[in-house]
Amino acid sequence: MATLTYYPGCSLKTSSKFYETSIKEVCSFYGIRLKELSDWSCCGASAAHTVDETLAHVLAARNIAMAEADGNHFFAPCSACYNRSKITNEKISKDKELREEINKLISPLQCLGTIEIKNIIEVFHDYVGIERIAREIQYDLSAIKVVPYYGCVLTRIPGVKTFDDVEDPVSMDTLLWAAGTKLVKWPFKMECCGAGKTLTNKDTTLRLSSKIMDMALTTGADMIVTSCPLCQMNLDLLPYLGKAEDNLPVLFLSEVFELALFGRLSGSGSHIIPVDGAVKKVKKK
Amino acid sequence: MDNLEFLHETEKVSGEKISTCYQCYKCTNGCPVAAEMDIVPHRIIRHIILGNKEKVLTSKSIWTCLQCITCSVRCPNDIDVARIFDALRKISVKEHCEADKDTWLFDSFFLDSVRKHGKLHELEAIMNYKLAKRDLFSDAKMGIGMFLKGRMGILPHNVKDRKQLREIFKKIVGERLGR
Ligand code: SF4
Ligand code: SF4
Repeated sequence: MATLTYYPGCSLKTSSKFYETSIKEVCSFYGIRLKELSDWSCCGASAAHTVDETLAHVLAARNIAMAEADGNHFFAPCSACYNRSKITNEKISKDKELREEINKLISPLQCLGTIEIKNIIEVFHDYVGIERIAREIQYDLSAIKVVPYYGCVLTRIPGVKTFDDVEDPVSMDTLLWAAGTKLVKWPFKMECCGAGKTLTNKDTTLRLSSKIMDMALTTGADMIVTSCPLCQMNLDLLPYLGKAEDNLPVLFLSEVFELALFGRLSGSGSHIIPVDGAVKKVKKK
Repeated sequence: MDNLEFLHETEKVSGEKISTCYQCYKCTNGCPVAAEMDIVPHRIIRHIILGNKEKVLTSKSIWTCLQCITCSVRCPNDIDVARIFDALRKISVKEHCEADKDTWLFDSFFLDSVRKHGKLHELEAIMNYKLAKRDLFSDAKMGIGMFLKGRMGILPHNVKDRKQLREIFKKIVGERLGR
């Protein structure tokens, strides 16, 4: 049984609590033990590096330092947490000056930047594998057409070797295919949803997220699938942002696995855009 | 163009070699908000090189940027353009000439919440932002909708060692964030 250090980050405890529930159910099915990092703090997200670069590294380093003690891989399902932790881990391991500066600030904790940071796509690939995923599916999802939506920060990490292609990633496509869904090709895998401007510049978020939603509709998809909490939220908030009609449900990657394994969604009540229509297409094998 | 000081400052704060830009426009072509910018990305870069400090620092573009990083991964000269925009935000705030205050304000409340609790308390950060903007009700429906879906917590989550975190914040950014 594999054990991972689980770093939920703020979103998975608040606005995307149902993402956490779903991840836990699916990981437990596959025998992956999630050991939540004790006393973790916020990774700093996009706010910290805008205001102060050192603060951004310190916030991420505090968590990495605590995780380094037991040496397991560091599992960050949120794309922003993954991105920030990955950057700090890499920089601290390579840049001695930075390492000393940050360690002075977080002392007595010490961060060496030696941990492996994994996102949810990597966890499914590395710890379950597409063969086992395909073999163990319990429900037939072949009537559900999906478009994989990766968002910006999962693969766009300048200066760091990324796990998949920066501009045309396919790793989530493979997982969705193995889970038995009907994959639809589309050009908006990486289009920006408007990111953290949901409150400060609502019109931009509405414009960009609507574009993504409309493209998904054009392809005839039944749902958009993502692994990023911010992308999920911006798209799911479209009815409140001003796009009242023609919205497809936006599911987390782990929720598709839930459908394939258990035939239902534990977090269906947390979706703003209703998911029932898509769930009805699930058939018993 | 003998004002190289601004170029050097921006290169130092961003850690990027801005002077290697050869104006291929790739950053601008891929930018999802180029149409909303007063000065598009490749031109911002050019203005930095030309030393047009005021023009750059008072531009709205540096705040329109979403930090989507598309420009950075496409630049043929490996210039992390998004990081330069990030650096320009810091410099413009330091020089008190930022064209848009909302992003910085929201980010400051976000971090203030992290300083206090160790984790983001979304409701607190959002309410502080809304209070500062004197605009409590424009997004109330969205907030209530989120709450009813169980997606907005009332109470903060705290780290155990709050004192350590506050001290770290104090060392780096002082007692209060924002302005
Ligand atoms: S992509 Fe790079 S080289 Fe091309 S204009 Fe932008 S910054 Fe300059
Ligand atoms: S990071 Fe900013 S400037 Fe670069 S493409 Fe994205 S929005 Fe445009």
